[in-house]
Amino acid sequence: MLKDGNGIRIGVDSGGTFTDVTLYNEATGDLSIWKVSSTPDDPSRGIHEGVAQALARFGAGAQVTYFGHGTTVATNAVIQKRGAATGLITTAGFRDVLEIARQTRASLYNLKDRRPDPLASRDNRHGVSERIAWDGSILTPLDADSVRATARQLAASGVRAVAVCLINSYRNPEHEQQVGTILREELPEAFISLSTEIAPEYREFERSSTVVLNAYVGPIMQVYLERLTQRLKAGGIGARPHLTQSNGGVISFEQAQRQPVRTILSGPAAGVVGATAVAKLAGHRNIITFDMGGTSTDVALIEDAMPRFAVDAEVHGYPIRVPMLDIQTVGAGGGSLAQADAGGLLEVGPASAGAFPGPACYEQGNDRPTVTDANVLLQVLNPEYLLAGRMRISQAASRAAVQRLADQLGLGVPEAAQGIVNMAIANMVRAVRVISVERGYDPRDFTLFAFGGAGPIHATRLARELGIARVLVPRSPGVLCALGLLLSDLKSTFSATRLCRLDAADAGEIAAGFAAVTARCDAWFDEEAVAAGDRAIRLSVDMRYVGQGHELNVAVAGTDDTGDMLAQLKAGFEQVHTQMYGYTAPEEPIQITTFRAEAVAAVAKAPIRAHPPASGPAEAAIVARREVFLPERGGFISCAIYDREQLGPGHAIAGPAIIEQMDSTTLVLPGQTATVDAWLNLIIEG
Amino acid sequence: MNNQKSAARAAGTPDPITVSVIGSALTTIVEEMCRVLVRAGYSTSIKERMDVSTAIMDTEGAILAQAAHQPAHLGSLLGITRRLLETHRLEDMQPGDLFIGNDAYEGGGTHLNDIVFIEPVFVDGAVVAWITNIAHHADFVDRGTAHIFQEGLRIPPVRLYAAGTLQQEVLDLVLLNCQVPHERVNDFRAQKAANRFGINRFLQLCDKYGYAVVRDASRAVLDSTERRTRAGIRRIPNGVYAWSGRMDSGRYEPFVDLKVRIEVLDEDIIMDFRGNPPQVRAGINLTYMGLLVSAYFAVMVLVDPDVPPNAGFQRPIQVLADPGTIVCSQAPAAVYSRTDTAEVLCDLIFSALSQAVPETALAPCSGRGLLTVSGIDPRSGRYYVYNESMGGGEGAHLTQDGATAVQTAVSNSRNVPVEVVEFEYPLQVVRYELVEDSGGAGRWRGGLGYRREIRVVGHSARAAIAGNYLRISSWGLDGGLPGARGVRELGEGIAPFVNGRGFLDAGQSVAIATSGGGGVGDAHQRERQRVAQDLREGRITARTAREDYGFDPSVAPS
Repeated sequence: MLKDGNGIRIGVDSGGTFTDVTLYNEATGDLSIWKVSSTPDDPSRGIHEGVAQALARFGAGAQVTYFGHGTTVATNAVIQKRGAATGLITTAGFRDVLEIARQTRASLYNLKDRRPDPLASRDNRHGVSERIAWDGSILTPLDADSVRATARQLAASGVRAVAVCLINSYRNPEHEQQVGTILREELPEAFISLSTEIAPEYREFERSSTVVLNAYVGPIMQVYLERLTQRLKAGGIGARPHLTQSNGGVISFEQAQRQPVRTILSGPAAGVVGATAVAKLAGHRNIITFDMGGTSTDVALIEDAMPRFAVDAEVHGYPIRVPMLDIQTVGAGGGSLAQADAGGLLEVGPASAGAFPGPACYEQGNDRPTVTDANVLLQVLNPEYLLAGRMRISQAASRAAVQRLADQLGLGVPEAAQGIVNMAIANMVRAVRVISVERGYDPRDFTLFAFGGAGPIHATRLARELGIARVLVPRSPGVLCALGLLLSDLKSTFSATRLCRLDAADAGEIAAGFAAVTARCDAWFDEEAVAAGDRAIRLSVDMRYVGQGHELNVAVAGTDDTGDMLAQLKAGFEQVHTQMYGYTAPEEPIQITTFRAEAVAAVAKAPIRAHPPASGPAEAAIVARREVFLPERGGFISCAIYDREQLGPGHAIAGPAIIEQMDSTTLVLPGQTATVDAWLNLIIEG
Repeated sequence: MNNQKSAARAAGTPDPITVSVIGSALTTIVEEMCRVLVRAGYSTSIKERMDVSTAIMDTEGAILAQAAHQPAHLGSLLGITRRLLETHRLEDMQPGDLFIGNDAYEGGGTHLNDIVFIEPVFVDGAVVAWITNIAHHADFVDRGTAHIFQEGLRIPPVRLYAAGTLQQEVLDLVLLNCQVPHERVNDFRAQKAANRFGINRFLQLCDKYGYAVVRDASRAVLDSTERRTRAGIRRIPNGVYAWSGRMDSGRYEPFVDLKVRIEVLDEDIIMDFRGNPPQVRAGINLTYMGLLVSAYFAVMVLVDPDVPPNAGFQRPIQVLADPGTIVCSQAPAAVYSRTDTAEVLCDLIFSALSQAVPETALAPCSGRGLLTVSGIDPRSGRYYVYNESMGGGEGAHLTQDGATAVQTAVSNSRNVPVEVVEFEYPLQVVRYELVEDSGGAGRWRGGLGYRREIRVVGHSARAAIAGNYLRISSWGLDGGLPGARGVRELGEGIAPFVNGRGFLDAGQSVAIATSGGGGVGDAHQRERQRVAQDLREGRITARTAREDYGFDPSVAPS
C-alpha cells in the first residue's frame, strides 16, 4: 500500500490564506502543484475543492494511494482562544495545580507580564476523592459517586471537553481509566482525555497542561477531521488520510482525533521536513527556513540537515510534553494589515485580512492596506493578477488603501508602501534572531531557505538585514509544506514509564518494558496496514542516575540476550552522560524511567529529479518588463520579469529582476545574482 | 585557539552585528550552563526548583553575562572574584583549577547554602575570564541562627580541583559537615559539569572570532547596557523619594522598622539605606552584596525589564548603607533567611518610586513562605531535607490585578512538583491550592496566596515554616486593602512552633498558606463583572464581595 504503484499521492497543506495541493504521479514520477484560497469557516471545503481541481487537471481517473495533510486548525484554536469550554478532573485538593503552574513569573523583571490563563477556568476544575501513592499503590479508592456528581456538574455548566489528570497516575492509570469510563457514560457527547493516554510522564503540572490543551482543541479537531474524512470519501479518495505531527512524522486521522495536541505544529513541521529534504539534496546542510504565508511566518534553524527539537516545549505559554520541532512563529504575513498606531507610527500585524476578505486588491470588502497591497503598489508583485493569471486583482484598490495610510503618516505613497514592507521584514529579523543569535548561532553561517507564498519576495531583503550571503528559493516555494507531506515517513511514538534499576534483578521488568512498547508499535503497524518489510522500530530508554531528576535518552540496538542488554544500556548511558556532562558516577546506581519506541513505516517518497543544463539563454525566459519601486535605486526602475517555468539549470540572472511563478514571486535585488541549480532551486547570492 | 586568527582580527573594532552575536552567544552559554546544571543535578533544589545561576566574568570579576533564574543571585556572584583575588594570586592559577566558596563574609556569597564554583579560563596561557555557577544546597538545616557559625560550614575560596586533580581532603572536609553528603557530592559533579560546558563553549567562541574580538565585543555590550540603563533612569523625574515600613519574619520575634531613600539625578540613581537598625541575632541580616540584590532588582523592573543583568547595568546605581546594620551586616551576623528582609526592601522601594512614576505602582507582594522538613527516610535509612520556597500573591499594579500564586521580588525558584516530593521523600502532599479571600481588595485586586499541606509518612520529622507577613499585614496603595496574612497551620496534636520550628510525628501534617498581595484603589470601584467572576471562581467569598466590594450578587451581571 505504501509502495510505488500506478496511483497518485497527494499532499495538502491548509493554511490561513491558501490551501496548497501537491500531486505525485507514481507511474510517471511527475510532481504537480495546485493552489486555492482557504475556507477558514470550514477548511475541509477548500481542501475538497483544491483536491478535486488538482485531480481533474493532473490525475484524472487515477487512484489516490496516499493522502498526507498539514493543518493549522489546532494551533489557531489556541491562538484565537476558540477551543472548547474545558473541564478538569483531578485529585481532591489539587484543582489549582493547573493555575499555580511552577509558581515562577511569566517574566523575571517585566512584572506586568502574566502567565496565560488556564484553559480550564477555576469553576470548571474539580477534585474527586481518590489517591494513589508514589509507588502506584492505592491509598484511597476512587469514589465513583463523587465522579458522577462532578460529571453532572460539568455537564450543567456546558463544558464540551473534559481532561483528567490524577496525582501519581503515571505510576498507576487505573483511577484515570475509571474516571474516563464514568465520564463517557455521563457526558457521551464530550471529548474526554486522560493524562496517562497523552503523556504518561511524571510532574503533575506539565502533564495536566498537556492533557488540558489536548481536550481544549479536541472537539474542534474532531469535527474538522470528521468533515474532511467525509468529503474525501465523497470525492472518491479511498486512501487512509494522514496528518503531520509537530515532530515532523505523520499519524492517522484516527490517532490525531484522539491526540490532537500532537498536531499543534502540523503545518509548519511539514514545511521544515520539506525544506530540510530539498536543501540536503542540493548540498545545503545548514539552513534557516523562512516560511512566510498569508497570515503568519515560521522560522526554524536546521544544523547539519537535522531540525532541532524544542526543549521543554510550550505553545503560547502552555507547556506540552509531546515532541515538537523548534519553530518560531510570528503573526505577520502577506495579509497582515498596516495601520498608524496611537503615536502616529506605522504598525504591521498581527491583525490579518486572511483569505477573506483578503488584501484590498482582492476587492472583497477590505479597504485597509496589507503587506501584499504594498508589494502590488510597488509592482514587485504583478499588479494585474496573482496565481499565474488565475486571480485578477486591482492595483487601484491597493493604491487607494495605501494612500489613506500615507496621508495619515504624512508620507508619499510609494514611501508608505515601502515602509510597510520594511516593517514586516523587521518583524522577521526578530524571529530569525530568536532561533539563531539567541541560541548562539551566527545567522551568517546559514543559507536562508525561503518559501511560503510571500517568502521569496521578502527573502533577499531579510538576508541583507541579517548579513546572510545566500538565499535558496526552492522550485515550488508556495507549496513546500505540501511537498514535505510527500516526503514524511509514517511515524508514531510510544512510551511507557516504568521505574526500574539497571541490574540483573530488574531484568524481567526491563524486558517487559521493551515488550510493552514494541507490542504497541506492532498493533499500530497493523492498524496502519504497513507491510512487514516497511516496518522499523527504534527503541530507546530514558535513563538517569538514581537521584537525578532529568533523564538522558539512550538508543538501543535491540538484543534478546538479557546480559548483553544490561551491558549495552550501561555503556550507552555512560557514553551519553560523558558526552553531555563530561563525567560518570560509577558507584551510583542507574535507573530506567521510560521505555520509548518510535515506529516508522517507510513511505516511498516522491523523488526530486536532477535536471540537465538548460539549453537556451536565460534571457529567453524574460516575459515582460515593468517599473518596480526599488529604494536601493531611488525610485521606480524598469525590471526584467522572468518566467520561472522557463528557467533551467545553469541560468544566471543579474539583479534587479523579478522571477514570477504560479505560487510565488522572487525579488532579486540590485547587486545580486540568481542562478538555477540542477534541482531547479534558485540560489541568490551577493 | 588559533593565534593567527586572533591576531588578525584584533586590529579592528567589531562591527555591530558581531557585537550582538557575541553578546547573545555569551548569554546563550550561561543559559546552557544552567540547563546542564539542572539536568545533571541530584537534589530537588537544583533539578526541580532551579535555584541556580551561572555567569561569565572578566578577569576583574565584572559580569559579562549572567543567567539568573533567581534575582537573589544577582548579588551572590558579585563578591566571589574579588575575594578570590585577595586571597590568591592570578599568576598562580592553572588551567583546571576549580575554586569553591560560600561564606557570606570571606567567600563572596550571601548565605552558606549557596555554594559557588568558579574556574579561570585560559587563552594563550593567560587568564581571560571566569566561568562560575552557584547552586542552592538544601543542607545545613536544623541549625541555630544566632550567628553565622551556627548556620553551616563556612568555606572561603579554596581549590576543590588543582590543575584538574580533585583535592579529596577538601571534599572530605566539606562533606563531613553536610547532612546529606550523598546529594552534595553528586550536585558538585553537576556544578563542575556546568562549568566545564561553559569553558568549552567560551573557548569555541574565542576560536571562532579570536579572543581580542570577544573581549572588545563584550566591552561594547557592557557599554551599550549602561547607555540603555541610563536612558531608562532618565525617564524617572529627578527627586528624592522615601518610604518606610515594618517587617516581620517567621524567624525573629520582634518587628523591624526599615526605610529607604532614593535619589534620582538625571541618569544616576542613589539607593540610600543608611539609618536602618543594627544587625540582629537571627538569620535575617543582609550582607552588602545581598542588599545590592534588592536595589538592582527594583531598578531593573522600573527602568528596563529587558536590559541584560551585566556589569554595565550596575554602573549608574549607587547603593549606600551603614556597616553593622541589618541591611549591611558584618561578621559574624547570621544570614540564612536574608530574603525575608530583601523582599520587604523591594516592597519599600516600589512604594517609594510609585510617588515618582505612578504608572509603575506595585502594591506590596507576598513575602515568601519557606517550608522545610527533614528526618530519616524509612525507605532508605538516609537523612533527607525537603525544602520548598513558596511565593504568594503579587501586589496589584496601577491598572491590573496582581498575579496569583507566584514568586515575587528577588525570589523566582520553581516549586517541587507534588509527584516529585512524594517520590523523593517520605512525605505526602495533602493539598496544594489557592487561598480564598487572600488577595487584598481594591479596584485592582492583589493576587491570591496559596497553601501546601505536607503529611509525614512512617517516621517523625523536624519542620520549619517561616516567611514574611505571617504576623503583620502588608499595606495597600491608593485606598486598596492589604493582602491577607500568611498562616502556619499545624495539624492536631502538634506542639506550637518556636521561632518557626517544630516537631512532627508520623501521620501529622502541617501547612503554610502564604499571604496575598496588596490591592490598589477603592474596592467599591472595581468593575462589577470582575467581582462577579472572582465570586463565581471562588477567589472571594460572598461575604467579602458584600463587605469589601459592596457587591450584591442579586443585582449584578453574571
